[in-house]
Amino acid sequence: MAADSAGLPSNYEFWMQKLSVWTQASTLETQRDICLHLPQFQEFLRQMHETLKEMDSNTIIERFPTIYQLLAKSCWSPFILAYDESLKILIWCLCCLIKKDPQNSRESKLNSWTRRLLSHIVSTSRFDIKEVGLFNQVLGYAPTDYYPGLLKNMVLSLVSELRENHLNGFNSQRRMSPERVRSLSRICVPLVTLPDFEPLVEALLTYHGHEPQEVLWPEFFDAVNEAFLLKKISLPTSAILCLWLRHLPSLENTMLHLFEKLISSERNSLRRIGCFMKESLLPEAAACHPAIFRVVDEIFRSALLETDGAPEVLAGIQVFTQCFVEALEKENKQLKFALKTYFPYASPSLVMVLLQHPKDIPRGLWHQSLKCISEMLKEVVEDYGSYGGPFESWFLFVHFGGWADITAEQLLMSEAEAEPPEALLWLLAFSCSPGAGHQQRAQIMVEVKTVLGHLTKLFRSPALSARDLQAAAEENQGGDPRPPACQQLVRRLLLYFLLWAPGGHAIAREVITLMAQTDAIMNEIIGLLDYTLYRWDHLCMEARRSRKLARELLTELREQASPRQVNQ
Amino acid sequence: MDSLLEHLDRFSEVLAVSRTTHVSTWDPATVRRALQWAGYLRHIHRRFGRHARIRKALEQRLQNQWKQEGDSGPTPAPGLANFQALGHCDQLLSLRLLANPALGDASFHFLLQQLFPGPGVPDAEEEALQGSLARFARCRAAAHMLRFHAYRENPVLQKDSVMKTQAELLLRRLQEVGEAEAEGPGRLLSRLWERLPQSNFLKVVAAALLLPAASPRLQEEELGVGSPRTPGDGRQELLRWLLGKSDIAVAFCRNLPAELLTSVAGRHPELSPVYLGLLTNWGRQLHYDLPKGLWIGTEPQDVPWEELFSRFQSLCQAPPPLKDEVLTALKSYKAQDGDFEVPGLSIWTDLLLALGSLV
Repeated sequence: MAADSAGLPSNYEFWMQKLSVWTQASTLETQRDICLHLPQFQEFLRQMHETLKEMDSNTIIERFPTIYQLLAKSCWSPFILAYDESLKILIWCLCCLIKKDPQNSRESKLNSWTRRLLSHIVSTSRFDIKEVGLFNQVLGYAPTDYYPGLLKNMVLSLVSELRENHLNGFNSQRRMSPERVRSLSRICVPLVTLPDFEPLVEALLTYHGHEPQEVLWPEFFDAVNEAFLLKKISLPTSAILCLWLRHLPSLENTMLHLFEKLISSERNSLRRIGCFMKESLLPEAAACHPAIFRVVDEIFRSALLETDGAPEVLAGIQVFTQCFVEALEKENKQLKFALKTYFPYASPSLVMVLLQHPKDIPRGLWHQSLKCISEMLKEVVEDYGSYGGPFESWFLFVHFGGWADITAEQLLMSEAEAEPPEALLWLLAFSCSPGAGHQQRAQIMVEVKTVLGHLTKLFRSPALSARDLQAAAEENQGGDPRPPACQQLVRRLLLYFLLWAPGGHAIAREVITLMAQTDAIMNEIIGLLDYTLYRWDHLCMEARRSRKLARELLTELREQASPRQVNQ
Repeated sequence: MDSLLEHLDRFSEVLAVSRTTHVSTWDPATVRRALQWAGYLRHIHRRFGRHARIRKALEQRLQNQWKQEGDSGPTPAPGLANFQALGHCDQLLSLRLLANPALGDASFHFLLQQLFPGPGVPDAEEEALQGSLARFARCRAAAHMLRFHAYRENPVLQKDSVMKTQAELLLRRLQEVGEAEAEGPGRLLSRLWERLPQSNFLKVVAAALLLPAASPRLQEEELGVGSPRTPGDGRQELLRWLLGKSDIAVAFCRNLPAELLTSVAGRHPELSPVYLGLLTNWGRQLHYDLPKGLWIGTEPQDVPWEELFSRFQSLCQAPPPLKDEVLTALKSYKAQDGDFEVPGLSIWTDLLLALGSLV
């Protein structure tokens, strides 16, 4: 926020040079260069203003002797004046130069020059169309009366030309040449944030010419995407879809923007992230077109690998998939594209089962679905079949993260004396440790089975102590230490126990304090609580007591972790 | 109500003065007052937009003011044109003051502080004016960029966006003026005829006559709510004036391209007898030059054969009833002349022969 005054002088020289080049001639090259630099130039102007407003006009001239030239040249290009807030900032800068009372004739002259420039750019009357101006003067209308209407008509006429192009193909006499369409996209670059231009932007995005290569300027796509991310323009999903399909970098930028939000220090709740996700239109676009889904998925996959399975990225994937499935259901009753186009590396039957929404299945039958999933995954993983290795299967599975948690809950709530089904144990073990070999996984299953054995016994007892739980979760004294993934799993089981067991509520806080030995574990528990609440919302789960407890715990723990921020 | 009207009058005076050298006497307090008055009128606009009686009274007052200005002397700078203009009267005042070099430096400085307080302004009102001025300037720059880089004049005149805008404004103005006073539109049109380049004005008239009939709802939105005007009023006035002034009608029919006139005549049947009558007269002026084998005129202002023919050709390509009307007329003139089939005796015969398959 603070102006980098050390950097300002060198920036100043840079921009003076640029402006000199730009004002020399108005060729396609200079126009392109201007468009490429518009955002940075605006930033520079902002910094200039921050600096200038602290000084009086004499100091300004001492410090920046060529300031008048700089500002005059900036006012020369309609591209600069049309862009976003540049005009406003230029006006502010000029205001800093105006003297309340000039002392001598030189100051007077400078003052009146600055005043003229100021009024020049505010009224931009040199841009007027002469015959329109005279006509309106006699009619009795001022420019403030007729300009909005004029612009609207010009925009609408261009929009209908673009659409006509699309419909009439080769025969239309009014067909817009590709050069003109490109020129139009160039003009739109500074103007995408002007509300009057929205119809034109939309028409350009959805314009399909007959040329094999892309006709629109790439800077145009960038400008539209930036404006959309900053919510400075509102466009229908169909237009955004076109944008992303035609210009991959825009989609990538949107994903980057999303990651910034996911991994920000603010620790947004999943519900908030769900809102961002929906606003970004990524799930909707992905549902409409598999190509977009594949790109997004690929970026998530890379991010997951690069961050070694960071929980924030995982959460992002799960929220995205949740929103994606919702969008898919809304979009079409029967899928327009085969599932295989969205998930080419997975067996279609597995995908079908995973896509099922648990709330559509009666609770009593959940374990059936789980068994099914487990068996299908096991077959793929242990067979190294045609559907990619364990990582691919695991990656697919974590999209639908809810199933792993449902497995944990189901196992916890089963009969105390009954044997937990192997299939479910396998699923849990796989979800926490996909890379484990056959031996390791078997060991994890044994560990979990033991812990579950203790926990299910304690589940129905009315009066519990933290000690009981601690004992239940303890590692076997003689054997190998538990791998960290398995520790995480045990903590998850404990947490669900606290939320679901009748006797768990009373000892919840005590147990959590005992569990949360490090900051990392504390964050893990907070994340888990957040995700559980999010999941229950989507399952339309009643469970009032458990929910209440979860919410309370989440608020308290968040308070503890960062006392000033409480994000709901 | 009276105080409101008085306020309006006072502000209109202020607005008129803001362009003159009188502002050199304005100190910052005066500037502040002027801006406050503008703000008050904006508030009025917001508050009474749906209040038909007050709106009408204010509108009437403004039209009267304008009428008085307009009749005397050269074209003055527009003041507040209509009720809707009250919605941005602060913008109008600000732009005038900013452009006026006579405004003292101290007052100008004060004006800038009011108009452009800078980023992060807590006051919603101030921010609104700053934003709207910036947006207006962007709007203008945008129109320029479109015109300069992407605009192609539409060969179909009434679809050309600039022409269309002028036509819409003309009709709107005619309606506003007509509400205030019955002779208003006629007077306005005469004034336009005197002061504007004639060929451009005639094109705008044609475009206005060809505008699609606006839906009442759209008109309401345009004029900002609940207006008792019926669409098409402006067009009627325009047509009446055109047909009432024979020299202007002649210029209209003479100077505009054939296709355009055909469209207008097709849309407004009242025009076709006038047009046809003129064409007939022009035709009668020509005589057949035997050596050259052509129909030629004697005076320099006579309409040549080619032009006459192209106009009739265009008319005969129009949909009925216009086409039929024209053909009937041509055939009856041919009959009057003796119903010859041989060329060179009656211009009407020759025209019909030349029109060939269209007949």
